[in-house]
Amino acid sequence: MTRLRGELIRLPLYLAGLTMLVPFYWMASAAFKPVPELTRNPPSFVPGDPTLDAFYEPDWDPAVRADQVVAGLFQRYPDVPGGFLRFMGNSLFVAATITVLSLLIAALAAYALTKMDLPGRRVIFVVVVASMMIPWQVTLVPNYLIVRNLEWLNSYPGYIVPALAKAFVVFFLVQYMRSIPDDLVHAARVDGAGEFRIWWRVIMPLMRPALAAMAIFVVLAEWNNFLWPLIIVQDDTMANVPVALSRLNASNAFNPHNMAVIMAASLLTSLPTVIVFLAFQKHFTRGIALSGIKG
Amino acid sequence: MTAVLIDKPPTARPAPAGKRARWRRAVPGYVMLLPFAGLFVGFLVWPLLNALYFAFTDFNGVRPPSWVGLENFGRLWFEDQRFRTALVNSVIYVACTVTLTTAAALALALAFRGTSWRDRVMRTIFFLPSVTSTIAVMLIWRWIFSGERFGLANTVLARFGADPVSWLSTPRWTIPLLVLMAVWGGCGYGMVIFVSGLNAIPEELYEAGRLDGANAWQQFRYLTLPQLKPVTTYVVITGLIGAFQVFEAVYIVFRAVSSVGGVQDSGLMLVPYLYDMGFTKFQLGYASAIAWTLFLIIFVISMIQLRVTRALREL
Repeated sequence: MTRLRGELIRLPLYLAGLTMLVPFYWMASAAFKPVPELTRNPPSFVPGDPTLDAFYEPDWDPAVRADQVVAGLFQRYPDVPGGFLRFMGNSLFVAATITVLSLLIAALAAYALTKMDLPGRRVIFVVVVASMMIPWQVTLVPNYLIVRNLEWLNSYPGYIVPALAKAFVVFFLVQYMRSIPDDLVHAARVDGAGEFRIWWRVIMPLMRPALAAMAIFVVLAEWNNFLWPLIIVQDDTMANVPVALSRLNASNAFNPHNMAVIMAASLLTSLPTVIVFLAFQKHFTRGIALSGIKG
Repeated sequence: MTAVLIDKPPTARPAPAGKRARWRRAVPGYVMLLPFAGLFVGFLVWPLLNALYFAFTDFNGVRPPSWVGLENFGRLWFEDQRFRTALVNSVIYVACTVTLTTAAALALALAFRGTSWRDRVMRTIFFLPSVTSTIAVMLIWRWIFSGERFGLANTVLARFGADPVSWLSTPRWTIPLLVLMAVWGGCGYGMVIFVSGLNAIPEELYEAGRLDGANAWQQFRYLTLPQLKPVTTYVVITGLIGAFQVFEAVYIVFRAVSSVGGVQDSGLMLVPYLYDMGFTKFQLGYASAIAWTLFLIIFVISMIQLRVTRALREL
């Protein structure tokens, strides 16, 4: 009986869960609808005649600019080699590089701050933690100017270098590294290992769960990053997926025929993140829980 | 912000040695800190100070900045009508978003805190928006609330015999829609934190409560809620900070032809205004004053959090 009552109380939440999925469903189904079906009123909930036209439209002819036949996603961007795949490549490259480098840098710093007797490390750690409450948009204008002066606008270093120092990652890794016994480090020192060696061979393997949690965090955040790329990217070729998506939207805002293409692009943007999340869900939620619970 | 500082005594300290020996031993440590410290100073501390300097200058990014003292802040805080709109919008949006998101997150955590198959599926569903590209999500919303008859929201309305609403160009609807999108997108994140908070509460408390005859509501009110206080504070504070920084939703869904902030600036908030001033109007000094104002707001909130958590610990 109590079981049944519990389920009854949960009923609204099940319904909420169902409505949570509606936008995703709408996106996925729209990506496969032919143009006339998109603007039909009332709309169809299942594509009556599923098609891949939004990705590649065989009838589209660049010479004829007809309103009824719009170019598929992979036919757009004639000046960008690779088209939409290029944007996905940009996003992937930038996200992967930032993740690997920022984790290495942060893990080095966390090791020095927890396992070594550095004069002033308390102060350093307090400064790092305090910096976490600075909204990063405050540094937007100066960082834009720095990157412009370095002539890194519209380039991979412009994406990557300013994003490498992540105070949050250092904080998280320090918290985790404290749980590793210092005796391990002592023993390695007695055996004559240098600090870098201890860091790489003893500590880093033990840090794997924490590094995995942070890696997923950083990868997703960078893949979805929008405001910074929006500012430093001028040339379509260097756009990442979110910027390309927003430009696709801006240039076609008033043509409903392009909606299927925009939804197809949204689908291709979201799918990788959802897959990464589903595959590494355990690490990811643990990362959030660990960072949140120690308030 | 979490504030757990080094609370253990310094570890890894071998037999007492001279001060100089200690410094010498520390050299590899500083070398290991160097990459992080260099980037941290170069792209965070230095820009932060620069932003502070620019905030007191008239600067368009081309001519060198010229010092104007407090003029930017004076204009921003006391004269600028658009900033007032942005601030009021932000405060309303933040208040509604954080309240609703926290309540929804707590309800979800209570309902789906277990390890059963059902609970995990439901948690995944509610968490999905947090990992999906914000831009993609915003484009979907934009279409769902499209003013035409094929927009999903209007289709549902038509089912009930109502007239279509032009959601995106009616200023009255801007903030409610932004709040809806934020709650949809944010409740899963809070839920995960609440779930781990709930699972950290010792089961004995509930056993004792049941022995004393507490019913489900009393257990929730007198055991769960007080135990969850630090977690709730964390969810609320990070929610506040995040909500004050909203940008994509305004920029993608509501950007009007001539303005970043939507029709009649109905969706203008702090970061969109910062972007508008800095990167479409190139008033970089003024934009820096907005940025520092945002910083001050978030600083005050963080300080309140520190106070509250300290007070809670003393209880």
